[in-house]
Amino acid sequence: MADGNGSIELAGLVKSYDGVTRVVDGVNLKVPDGAYCCFLGPSGCGKTTILRMIAGHEDPTDGEILIGDEQVVGLDPVERRTAMMFQSYALFPHLSVRENIAFPLRVRGAGTAERHKAADAMIEKVRLTELADRLPGELSGGQQQRVALARAAITGPRVLLLDEPLSALDEQLRVQMRQELSRMQRDLGITFVHVTHTQLEAIAIADIVVVMEKGKIRQAGPARDVYDQPRDRYVAEFLGGQNVLRGKVARIDGGSALISADSMRDVVVPLGAHGGVAVGDTVDFAIRRDDVGLSRPQAVSPESRAKVPSRVRSIEYQGNFVKVMLDDVGGDELIAYVPDRIFYLDPVSVGDVVLAGWDRDKARMLAR
Amino acid sequence: MAKRRGTTHNRTTHNRTTHNRTGWLLVLPLVVVLIPFFVAPIVGVVVASFVQSDGFGGIVPAFTWENYANIFTSRLTLDLYWATFRFAVFAWFFSLLIGFWIAYFLVFHVRNPLLAMGLFLLCTVPFWTSNIIRMISWIPLLGKEGLINSALLGVGVIDQPLGVLLFSSLAVVIAYVHQLTIFMIVPIFNSMARIDKRTIEAARDAGASRFDIVRLIVFPMSKTGIALGSIFVVSIVMGDFFVVKVMSGGGSASVVGAFYEDVGVLQYPSAAASAVILTAVVSLMVVAILRTVDIRRELTK
Amino acid sequence: MSQTAVLPPARASAAPRARRRAPDRGGRPWTFYVLAALFVLYVLALYGPMICIYILSFQDVRGGLVFPMRGTSLHWFVDLFTQVRTGDVKGAFGRSIRLAAIVTVLTVIVSFMAGLAFRKRFVGDSVVFYLMIGSLVAPGLVLGLGVGLLCNLLGIEASWYGSALGAQLSWTLPFGVLVMFAVMSRFNAVWEEAARDLGASPWQTVVLVILPIIAPGLVAVALFGFTLSYDEFARTLLTAGSLNTLPLEIWSMTLNVTSPSLYALGTVTTIISFLIIGLSLGTIAWMQKRRARKTAR
Repeated sequence: MADGNGSIELAGLVKSYDGVTRVVDGVNLKVPDGAYCCFLGPSGCGKTTILRMIAGHEDPTDGEILIGDEQVVGLDPVERRTAMMFQSYALFPHLSVRENIAFPLRVRGAGTAERHKAADAMIEKVRLTELADRLPGELSGGQQQRVALARAAITGPRVLLLDEPLSALDEQLRVQMRQELSRMQRDLGITFVHVTHTQLEAIAIADIVVVMEKGKIRQAGPARDVYDQPRDRYVAEFLGGQNVLRGKVARIDGGSALISADSMRDVVVPLGAHGGVAVGDTVDFAIRRDDVGLSRPQAVSPESRAKVPSRVRSIEYQGNFVKVMLDDVGGDELIAYVPDRIFYLDPVSVGDVVLAGWDRDKARMLAR
Repeated sequence: MAKRRGTTHNRTTHNRTTHNRTGWLLVLPLVVVLIPFFVAPIVGVVVASFVQSDGFGGIVPAFTWENYANIFTSRLTLDLYWATFRFAVFAWFFSLLIGFWIAYFLVFHVRNPLLAMGLFLLCTVPFWTSNIIRMISWIPLLGKEGLINSALLGVGVIDQPLGVLLFSSLAVVIAYVHQLTIFMIVPIFNSMARIDKRTIEAARDAGASRFDIVRLIVFPMSKTGIALGSIFVVSIVMGDFFVVKVMSGGGSASVVGAFYEDVGVLQYPSAAASAVILTAVVSLMVVAILRTVDIRRELTK
Repeated sequence: MSQTAVLPPARASAAPRARRRAPDRGGRPWTFYVLAALFVLYVLALYGPMICIYILSFQDVRGGLVFPMRGTSLHWFVDLFTQVRTGDVKGAFGRSIRLAAIVTVLTVIVSFMAGLAFRKRFVGDSVVFYLMIGSLVAPGLVLGLGVGLLCNLLGIEASWYGSALGAQLSWTLPFGVLVMFAVMSRFNAVWEEAARDLGASPWQTVVLVILPIIAPGLVAVALFGFTLSYDEFARTLLTAGSLNTLPLEIWSMTLNVTSPSLYALGTVTTIISFLIIGLSLGTIAWMQKRRARKTAR
């Protein structure tokens, strides 16, 4: 058994329950040892199924799963040296915190003294010493999560699989436990695979974010890449923070396309890696909402900025920035996040005609 | 270490067959009891109903319809079925009426859940005691010199004891309701306890009166419980003979009573034929009730 | 709170049902009192007659079957166990208790296993399910006759520990499995998966996780098994062979004994029942309390 190597490789992974619809549809992915990987997608996109297949609670219909370069399909969870933290934790209601955490040692035949010692060390690590004799039913959500984490980690697995670990908690606790998960992952130094449907959660903790839709991976990469450089409309919209606009290519000019749509004329977008775009194609491009600035129609702006005339539809104050919603552009909404201080230098109001503008090289062409 | 189980294709089928095997292994003991002690006896009775009797307790292994012909041409049998059926209807009606309102009271009117559970247990305790004893315990109350007659005489409502109280059809129905209401209360209580209290509040919000709520929300949502309770009550009354025998004082006969007398005089084939018809009638009634709800889905969910 | 009170008069009159209701200050609606009265009457009717015969069983030698009480003594209890006329009550007691104990053990084990099986679908599960329902509702005496006929045919002598045991199981098992359905519906299958994930073998999962969590439910199954067997009559009547169980003994007494001995027997057997019920409910309560108390340390 390759020791300590918690790298994961999924190759052509397929899962189908009825032989017709594929819940997981040909997933390929490599997660390096010791990474924090988040599967992100709406419910029913197959992310939990992938997790359960890595854990060994379900067998793939087709494809390979390698952990530490070793084929694990058909092995029991214990043989894989993975551990799973279940959604809503699945703590045993009849066992105390200590007994819950010592459970994996107990079933491996460890003596009472030995396993209690190991459990107590773990309990201290997750800061539950005072509650060691409580039953799970009497713990708060956050405490239960820490017990579940300790129980999963006590046997020193090389991969920890977390199924929606924060969904049972309230907003405030979620942020706190998010940090705790990060800390534990650094402490243990093992691979974490975390499934969630919350974008903020994923980009806040993950080294690698895997965005899924309908059983397929849409984009996988470091959190910042996925957020800042979404590959396609789906990823951009799911992660948020982006305006996705659609238009027709009017002209190709060097490394840029000039795109037009209703109420948008000849907006210059760098082609980037999308060299195959031809005149007449309908294309999507994205521009981050905080890259969009507003100016009065008569104001002069440098040639290097793309401009779209629009009108303010509504304004929401968000604290450190102001969310300004403009009239749709070619059927897509256009939103600007204007920093609080800049907005109030020359506040616009609903109904004002404005120019929404951004630096040309900030726009990104999306894959179709 | 890299061991593989089967080809990729049959991994899932492998899983399914594994569960079929464990499933059957786990129900095997149940089946091992039910086959010789339910299926075989019923088959045995069916077979016995088609053979001839030699008149001395033995049987002649020759096929005949005679046992059934005798039953269907006998005025007595029809009367027996009619009498038993009538008892079943009365017992069903009163036990449902009482059981429904008791369950409703416990679930929706008792506010302290611990108290409700305690009162519920109070209702169920007699279920775990002897039926026969509970039945004969009506004798000191309903008899000619029983408490009720003495009280009525004492007050002066009547000037001679009512004979109709004990050893009568009334007594039979009382004993049935006494014994069987519990079979209504428990399943109806369970159904009602599962009703989300917010649906009641929503109905009140929409302007429903208390009566509307019972009629339109509580009653339909307790259907499973009512169906289950009805199955118990109907099948028990149809299969009973000792309540009728004791409480009617011999005045009323029942299907099973007649059947038991056949057994007593060793008329096995005709008893078997009667048993087959009875079982068929009870099964039909149960199936009719089962058609109204999917009991298994409700029970295992 | 009363919503109708804030309606303008015109609308209030348009809705005939809208009447100002007394504000809810913890009082009860009139239906509560009606139903509470019904409940009290029901409980009185449930227990009243039984209490009557317990009282009447303590009369002295002059006692009869109805009130008024004639003296107080334990005469009829002594009579019950010593008189030939009342049959072999002592032996019947012993047999019934032993039979009920065997039935209880088998019912708990078999129902538990079936309860585990029925959590997932398997090929033919509906057949087993309806077989069970059939066994539950089949007229007891018919089943008894069938078992008796089969015994005759196979040359097996009917006995309380053989044919009667089987006939009783065909009644207690479906009951036990139904109770297990209710118990298992509260058992979260994810606990089992977690145990497996943490390295427990199937056997360890059963012993360390499933059994302790559903233990109170199993006590309830045991209670059903014991009392249903202990009081079983119809299925046992034609299958018990030459030696009577207690309910059969009571049955024959109702036909030919007309003294308070009958009531004394009722009192004794009910005491046994109550002991068993108390023991079971006590055990369940104790289990739940112990779970809660662990934490107080």
